[in-house]
Amino acid sequence: MVKDKATVVVVGGGATGVGILRDLSMRGIDALLIEKLDMVNGASSRYHGLLHSGARYAVRDQEAAKECIEENTILRRIGKSCVEAISGMFVQVEGDDPDFVDPWVKGCAESGIKTRELSKEEAWSLEPNLSRKLVRAFEVPDGAIDGFRMSWQNVQSAVRYGGRYKTYTELIKINIESGAVKSITVRDNVTKEEYDIECEILVNAAGPWAGKVAQMAGLDCSVSPSKGTLIAFNQRISNRVVNRLRKPSNGDIFVPHGSITILGTSSITIPDPEDTSTSWEEVEELMKTGEGVFEHLRDYRILRVFAGSRPLYVPKGADGGRNASRGFVTLDHEKEDGLKGMMTICGGKFTTYRLMAEKFCDVLAPKLGNTAKCRTAEEDLVPAVSEADKKAARQYFPSYGVNLAATRLGTEKFPEVVKTLKENPETREVLCECENVTMAEVMRIAQEPTSHSVADVRRRTRLGMGTCQGNYCAIRSAAIANKLFKDKLEGCGDSLSDMKNFLQARWKGITPVMAGKTLREAEMTRGMYEVLFNVNGGRR
Amino acid sequence: MELEERARDSADNCIACTSCVAVCPVTKANPDYRGPKLVGPAHNRMHFSDENDYEDSLKLCSNCKNCDITCPNGVSVATLNMLERAKYYKAHPEKHTQADQMLSHNFQMADMLKSIPFGRTCANIGMSIGEAMGMMGAMGIAPQRKSPRFATKYFREMYKEIKQPEGLTKEVLFFPGCFIDTNDPEVGVAFVKVMNANGYKVLMDDRFKCCGSPLVVGGYLDEARSHADNNVAIINEYAAKNIPVIACCTSCSLMLKAEYTELFAQEEMAQAAKNVYDAFEFLTILAEKGELKKVHVSSDKKFIYHAPCHLRAQGMGMPAVDLLKEIGVNIDSADAGCCGMSGSYGFHKENYETSMKIGSELFDKINASGAHKVVCDCGTCREQIKHGTNAKTTHPIQVLAKAYEQ
Repeated sequence: MVKDKATVVVVGGGATGVGILRDLSMRGIDALLIEKLDMVNGASSRYHGLLHSGARYAVRDQEAAKECIEENTILRRIGKSCVEAISGMFVQVEGDDPDFVDPWVKGCAESGIKTRELSKEEAWSLEPNLSRKLVRAFEVPDGAIDGFRMSWQNVQSAVRYGGRYKTYTELIKINIESGAVKSITVRDNVTKEEYDIECEILVNAAGPWAGKVAQMAGLDCSVSPSKGTLIAFNQRISNRVVNRLRKPSNGDIFVPHGSITILGTSSITIPDPEDTSTSWEEVEELMKTGEGVFEHLRDYRILRVFAGSRPLYVPKGADGGRNASRGFVTLDHEKEDGLKGMMTICGGKFTTYRLMAEKFCDVLAPKLGNTAKCRTAEEDLVPAVSEADKKAARQYFPSYGVNLAATRLGTEKFPEVVKTLKENPETREVLCECENVTMAEVMRIAQEPTSHSVADVRRRTRLGMGTCQGNYCAIRSAAIANKLFKDKLEGCGDSLSDMKNFLQARWKGITPVMAGKTLREAEMTRGMYEVLFNVNGGRR
Repeated sequence: MELEERARDSADNCIACTSCVAVCPVTKANPDYRGPKLVGPAHNRMHFSDENDYEDSLKLCSNCKNCDITCPNGVSVATLNMLERAKYYKAHPEKHTQADQMLSHNFQMADMLKSIPFGRTCANIGMSIGEAMGMMGAMGIAPQRKSPRFATKYFREMYKEIKQPEGLTKEVLFFPGCFIDTNDPEVGVAFVKVMNANGYKVLMDDRFKCCGSPLVVGGYLDEARSHADNNVAIINEYAAKNIPVIACCTSCSLMLKAEYTELFAQEEMAQAAKNVYDAFEFLTILAEKGELKKVHVSSDKKFIYHAPCHLRAQGMGMPAVDLLKEIGVNIDSADAGCCGMSGSYGFHKENYETSMKIGSELFDKINASGAHKVVCDCGTCREQIKHGTNAKTTHPIQVLAKAYEQ
């Protein structure tokens, strides 16, 4: 049954998809994005949150490096509510190849990336935890970017231009008539309803799942999902991004990200992008390399470990993994395979998501007779909450809470939350003490039509992502949020099972690193929920 | 390495178990205080988000250390709070009140008065007049309280007049601390008697400065650091000569033994800490070696003992009450938590109510005990007990000194 139609349907709610949704909407093209789960649940949030300066690619791939520095500059300007405008360092430690430095410095200069060599003393004074085995250090304009906020802010920007989106809406069939895509069949993963959406062009922006989507149309698109494992530490080990100055390899990058630090990544070619499993061995490999940069790394508390898969595009006959290009391709299936009305975008990097969308839409728009120029670099993703509004709201927020809430909520929801805080003082209660999230914010996000579980609320608030990994906020928020969800997910029909699912997902990231301080925390969670609250009813 | 680890990782060790909130006497008495966990380790991770923000209720922490005592993971919660407070006042020096200034720098006033003829007598009369006229409140000091009077002769002056027995071969260096030196010198006199009776000559070193505890809680961390450096150098000098340093004030000894290292993370501070003892800790070591002078008390006059929080934070039990019991003193521990004074905390006008609320359990126990005197190692705890109960108070070293006189 046809229930909806859009000129363009974009499949995939990651950085690539939201970038295209925004770009098309700003060009005045009617676009609808569908995502099978919650927005940003794939590689766009399962990465280290690095806004590349491009320096990492300066030797091997100068084109990528140039793209990175240009996009880095643009995102710092348009993404003030999702970019942490910090800087970065490349450090060489004892044992690293000294001959790598000169070509790297030259490569950066040629790519337009400003570098500045720091004396060892300067580097240590800026980042006191850096290894004493430091040899050379350079400053570069790296930054940090929050995948969750960036993606939602792109969606919000698209919505202002008429763009639409549906989460928990999974593509199950591509309906082709006489060599052209006519419609798609989707399943609503909340209500289980199946229906058709008519479209003129179907955009496959499913990242590592792009191969699977192409298959539904009988096409072959070789995407090689490459799993990257990352470690989240409990605090900021440095205030700048710290990269290892050597030929890019595993465990090279530390990104201070909000209250935490993320160390990544590994690169393992996997058959199934759904595989986000991690192992102690992967962690150990990252830790061993990471110790080269921060020699006391093992003294720091690990919060969790997580993995995502990069959507690496492998042209026929080429290698995958770390050697596969970080560049992207636009596949026009009309040209390539004789199928009208379908295009695929493959590969790419988070940092260049906007540029990818621009180039892709430059090909797509003319097919619809649209000649509008890309304007995504000209306008802020979202308007920022004013300093005056933040200052006025400060009295209602917990300390250190206003800035974060303002960037998460944006100009529309922030005043609503402030109003709730003002009128109902009990909603000032901090439900998540580790990440400073108030009851009012949880309530507001729970009311969003896209929120169906505490995990959805987590992705938009950082609830449960700090020190105690959901220990206290799970029980505090499950009942409150579940009263407010419009539709609930299967298996989350009541607040108890939602709470258990939420904790189970936190648990997944904790198990591979269950030692030392992390073990103490996990044991307390077990003690509280299994023993004290007996959430499993005494059964194993 | 161990030192670095502790300083760096303190907040990382927090598992957010909330035990500290459960035992925090301030949280219990004053709901405005958001609790040690949030204000300490939790906020520690959030500072990145807003450099100009601060936690208003941070000023309500009394630094009593019950959070540190309770923490199952060894987080120095109170110290994290004090470091945070220091950072705030460094950025906002204008926020210091007159009371902060006075209560943190009592040692300056004491030194100044000593240099003026009849300075102390005049100051004491001045305090009486000030209290009677309600002027203390205007300065931010709790008008309900009677400020401790300056002794007309400080311990450092009395010490010079004490004739210690000839031929004592063993030596200890006394760290009197401000309260004993300038307010309650008889404690120092009793200490000398006890040590002499055990074959020790008591030395003094005029270069010692206030331990810095009142400076830390007032947010004057840089000043505290200079005191720490000064005192630590002296302690290590004596350590090299195998002369231990002994304090009778448990807040001073906690500062010298633990807080310097927690706050400033210097190797020489950790080194100095090993040479510092609380008086009864030292006497207990003597007793264990069989070197303590034997004495038995036959009187059954009843005492009640209050264990200062800063003694409990040293993690060595209650050596004073154990030792006094051992020699036959009829004494029991009140076991009633914090007295609420926490050094200068209870003297602040805005903390008075909280302070008295915290102390109420102790006051009730003392009043119901029928004891003729309250024994306590801490000078400001004793002030609080006198204020809350009208009971007579004494330092345990004075009880022991009296026993030796029999």
